Formats: sequence, structure tokens, C-alpha cells
Amino acid sequence: MELSDRELVQKCQAGEMNAFEDLVSRYHQKVFMVILGLLRNREDALEVAQETFFRAFRKINSFQGDSSFYTWIYRIAVNMSIDAQRHQKRNPLEFRESMDSVLEAQNETAKDPFADVHDKELRARLIKAINDLTPEHKAVIVLRTIEGRSYKDIGEILGCSEGTVMSRLHYARKKLQDKLSAFL
Amino acid sequence: MTNCENFRDSIGRWLDGELSLSESAEVEAHVAACAECGEARRQLESLQRALTGVLVTDAAPIEFIPFWREVQRRINSKRAWYEDISQWAREFFTAPRIAWGVPAAIVLLLAVVSLESYFPWMRFGGGRNKFASVESIDGHGRSVALLRENESKTTVIWLYQDEEGENETGEVGSKSGPTF
Repeated sequence: MELSDRELVQKCQAGEMNAFEDLVSRYHQKVFMVILGLLRNREDALEVAQETFFRAFRKINSFQGDSSFYTWIYRIAVNMSIDAQRHQKRNPLEFRESMDSVLEAQNETAKDPFADVHDKELRARLIKAINDLTPEHKAVIVLRTIEGRSYKDIGEILGCSEGTVMSRLHYARKKLQDKLSAFL
Repeated sequence: MTNCENFRDSIGRWLDGELSLSESAEVEAHVAACAECGEARRQLESLQRALTGVLVTDAAPIEFIPFWREVQRRINSKRAWYEDISQWAREFFTAPRIAWGVPAAIVLLLAVVSLESYFPWMRFGGGRNKFASVESIDGHGRSVALLRENESKTTVIWLYQDEEGENETGEVGSKSGPTF
């Protein structure tokens, strides 16, 4: 029988490394996707994702279970990503080139979901528009789109109210729509 | 704000499933009947599809084993003490904390300094016992510059009369010294 997150956390707190490995296995992909959505650079996202789990391990004894494990790990991941974005030395052009090289590699083996020119242009503009958002606005868009989390969950992850999540989402979508109006 | 604008503001929450059943039914009925709001819904759904394409579809999976090995390596490696301090500082001194902390520190500092006015025995500034001042010694413009070295020792460093006082009294000439 598969153990719940809470049970795995308790085992981690008791010093069982295997339990932590199970938690990493359960969440590494989603945590990586959220970080990648925020940083738009695969190498940086991988580095921040690994550091996220390392810090989670170091803080696991202070985890009281007031919130769920995924809320807690996502909070660490988002905070680290926002911090990394502020200190990111590479310019947005490099981010796009980095993403494009990954996408080109994928396209060799997989069908491009944006097959026609219109959709390719939309994707390029959307990536630029996402990069232009503030880290806080980007965070709500990414958490909502990738995870489909409720406003309440997103608020818990970001440490803000549901109302703030709602207004940030509204503002961020409006910004994106304004920049992409000709393509939607 | 018009009725349509109100509904358009709610379309995002409606598509996200964040409205109550009655609110959802109301928005749904309006969007079905109003061409402009229907277009707003279509655009928002189109944006959401594009976002999903960029953020989800484009994110290739990562392999677990190398990922876990790197996490393990970090756990097992010993870090320098300054890395921990640097990490703590970066987590602690976030932009909102600095935005609140700096004005709060200034207000606190001013409050502490002003306490001396009400409680002179506190004497936060040790140098305050030793200061220069100019004091008037009569009503005719004659003043004295004093150097107060401590509570029991005050030195007169200059005695003078200002221009206005000189004109009024005519008692002291230019030899009385410079004005401050």
C-alpha cells in the first residue's frame, strides 16, 4: 500500500532516507515544471529544483504538517525561483534561445503541437510576454496553468490571500491578452 | 462599470471554477447571450490553451535517478558556514521585509532619540555633555558663545553683540567681535 505524504514525512523526520527518496520521486517532475515555467531555462530550473529538495531535506524536522507537503515544497520552490529570477544574470534572449534549443530537440522526435506559422508566432510572443511579467504574476499563471490549483492553494503556496491571487491572475491574463490580442 | 464589464471580470474565475453554482449559472447565461462577452471567453480560453502548450507540453520530463543522485550529493556534502549565512540572509531580507523594515528602523531610531527629550537622564549621545552654544545674556542683543564640557565646567569662548543690538544700544563698537 502506498504511504501518504504525511506518513513519508514522519519517516523522514525519523531519519529514513528512503522515505525522502519516495517524496522526491513523487514530486520532482511537477516541481521541476513549475520552476521551469518561472525561469524559462532548463539548466537553471534543474539546479533550482535540486536545491529545493536539498533545502526541504534540511528543514524537514521543522515541517509541522500545518499545510500539506506539496504546498510546503511548492512554497520553497516558488520562493527559490523568484529569488533566482531576481539574481538571474542571463538576459531574456538567452532564455529564449535556451528554450528554443530544447524545443528543437524535442521536435525531432515528437510532433510539434504548434504546427503552423500562426501558432509558432503566438508561442514566441507568449514566451516573451511571460518573461515580461513580474515574478509574482508569473507565479500565479504558472501554478494555475501547470498545477490547476485552486486560488486558495495558490494563496497558501505564495503566502497571500485568495483575493490577491484572483487580482494577480486577472492582471497577468489581461497583460498577456493585450500583448497577444492579434493572435488569440 | 457596465453590466458586461462586471461579467467580463468574472469570466476568468468562472473558467477556473472559482464561482459559486448560482454565480456560474449567471455568468454562463450572460456569456451565451452576449456576443462581446462570448468573444472575451473565447480569447481567454485561447490564451489558456497557448499557456498550457508553452508551460506544460514543452516541458520535457526529467530522469529521476540522476536528479536524485544530485540531491543526495548535496545532502551528503558539507557546506561552508558562510554559504548557510548567505542562504539565510537571502531568505530573510526579501523585498517586502526591506520595504517595511527600513522605514520602521528609521521611525524606531527617531523614537529612541526623542526619548531623551522626555527622559534627560537617559543621555543616549555621550557627546551631548560637550557642546557649543550661543546664549543671549540680556535683552539688548548681547550674547555669549559657550563651550559646555561637562555638567560642572563651562568655558566662555566669545562675547559679542549682534549688529541690530549695536545699533539699538550703541554701547559696544566693532571691537566687540564678530557675529556668528
